[in-house]
Amino acid sequence: MNAALDVKKISKIYGEPPNETIALKNVSLQIKEGEFVAIIGPSGSGKSTLMNILGLLDIPTSGEYFFENRKAANLSQNDLAKLRNQKIGFVFQSFNLLPRTSSLKNVELPLIYSGVGKKEREQKAKEMLERVGLGDKLFSTPAKLSGGQQQRVAIARALVNDPFVIFADEPTGNLDTRSSSDIMQIFKDLNNEGRTIVLITHEIDIAKLASRILTMRDGQIVSDVKNRPKKQIIKSKRKGV
Amino acid sequence: MDFSEVVRSAIEAIKINKLRSALTALGVIIGVAAIILLISISAGLQKYISGQFEKLGTNSIFILPGKFRPGPQGGPPRAVNKLTFKIAERIEKQKNEAIIDVSPFVEIDVTVSYKNKSKITTLAGVKPTYFVLSDIGAQTGRTFTDRENQVEAKMAVVGQTIAKDLYQQENPVGKVILISKKSYRVLGVLEPQGRAGGIDIDNQVLIPLNSARKLTGTDQVNSILVRTSSAETIPQAKERVEKILKQSLSEDEFSILTQEQLLSSILQIIGVLTVALGGIAAISLIVGGVGISNIMLVSVTERTREIGLRKALGARPRDILSQFLTEAVILSFLGGAIGVLIGYLGSLVLSNFLQTFVPFWAVALGLGFSTVVGVIFGVAPALRAARLQPVEALRHE
Repeated sequence: MNAALDVKKISKIYGEPPNETIALKNVSLQIKEGEFVAIIGPSGSGKSTLMNILGLLDIPTSGEYFFENRKAANLSQNDLAKLRNQKIGFVFQSFNLLPRTSSLKNVELPLIYSGVGKKEREQKAKEMLERVGLGDKLFSTPAKLSGGQQQRVAIARALVNDPFVIFADEPTGNLDTRSSSDIMQIFKDLNNEGRTIVLITHEIDIAKLASRILTMRDGQIVSDVKNRPKKQIIKSKRKGV
Repeated sequence: MDFSEVVRSAIEAIKINKLRSALTALGVIIGVAAIILLISISAGLQKYISGQFEKLGTNSIFILPGKFRPGPQGGPPRAVNKLTFKIAERIEKQKNEAIIDVSPFVEIDVTVSYKNKSKITTLAGVKPTYFVLSDIGAQTGRTFTDRENQVEAKMAVVGQTIAKDLYQQENPVGKVILISKKSYRVLGVLEPQGRAGGIDIDNQVLIPLNSARKLTGTDQVNSILVRTSSAETIPQAKERVEKILKQSLSEDEFSILTQEQLLSSILQIIGVLTVALGGIAAISLIVGGVGISNIMLVSVTERTREIGLRKALGARPRDILSQFLTEAVILSFLGGAIGVLIGYLGSLVLSNFLQTFVPFWAVALGLGFSTVVGVIFGVAPALRAARLQPVEALRHE
């Protein structure tokens, strides 16, 4: 079976010489469908840049990237938009929910861009919010939700179009330990259903929940190891309130 | 992304920044209101003039000094006025059966006074038939008679404004009025006639034609009105009048116009005026458009992260384009609609002072123009939003 995401010797360079910054250096990587990959590394190691390229949000300066055997460089803006809409779900560190907009409307957003009718849209969005345990917060705006709840809305939004891969960039970075483990449990469950997960983190405890851990440093993958994840998520000691 | 969804999200975005949206739309509101108001004034003037001509009936021809060219290159005559009472008398003497009346018309600006009050007004010398033909009567007192015209009686009929300003509480009838320092007796006060195009028609004094001839000391008249027996005999009357005029005047020293020709020429001049006034108002609308463009650019910058997010969730460039363009168009269209309303209310208020009329096409023009302004000035910010790179937009703080 071909890798779902296939990166061949890509580099990403920002700026012009002599002031250029090399974010990625000759990176090659294959991710198969159903994998749970954690990318770990210090800030500035190129992990976000790699994820943005994998998620079709950015293009590499050199090298080739195949998304489900499609060469990314050959795709038009509209093709890219469609793939991001149908095949990919994003979860960000800062949630990126539309302010002053209800959870339901936020989750409906990807469905609007795929042209789903109003009724079906509301139905699907509601199901997704129920699934992440927010069935009672359908009409709350982000300002009325806790960080963990906001991130769950964001996950519902990422899932609503039933993508095969979820990219999560430090999804627990802004959350307390309790909310973090809730969110990670959701990712575990999603992976158990067969969904591919690519997760960026700098916490080794979080990374250990994945089945494969990539370590990056200075724009390169310095280690790529299989991991036998713990069955149970460690309930971290809750410090204070 | 279907259209109703685009409109819904645009309205949402406008609602979120209510004050800013209102201020942005203000430029368009003012521009459209000004257009509607100016058009209503000139359309009211057109209506008034057409109404006056209708009163005269269709069996009239006008003799004017100079060569009057109806049509796009036309305009008011500029030549020296060589029309005189003598010419009018000659037409009267040599008239054929098609002509039933010849009325010269004299109009000059004079100062009139009573006791210590004085006022500049329009003095017109008219035949007694003028009151019947123009359908104007005296509200109090009476108008003058043929006999009074013949004897050059020093009698006058004054308009409402003169009665109010000069006589105030007193009844002007029977009182003296000084016209160019000569004393006349007031016979009556005309019915109120209102204003047209900013001109106070009640500010006038009418005296018998022959008295006016004596007062001015010249033989000159402003125009000669010839009434024919019917509309059908106009060509016959015109031919005769032309023949008589050519005896004493060269061809470019007079013009003979039928009522229709004269009316269409006047309306044409007002039409040009309307376009000119509307054009000035349109400039303010363009300024309003620049305001919309400016605010939309600010909005695009402010919402860069949102645009990045939408792109990450699958928005195509054209989805983003239509979102911001729709927002600009809705803003300007709402501004246009409010402007139409304000312009209309303004013309209702103005109608207390002068005749106004808001034609349907002015409303359509106001709304259409404001929408076009929204499209034109919304395109640049919307394109800018559509072209943002998702990853850079998401990184934006």
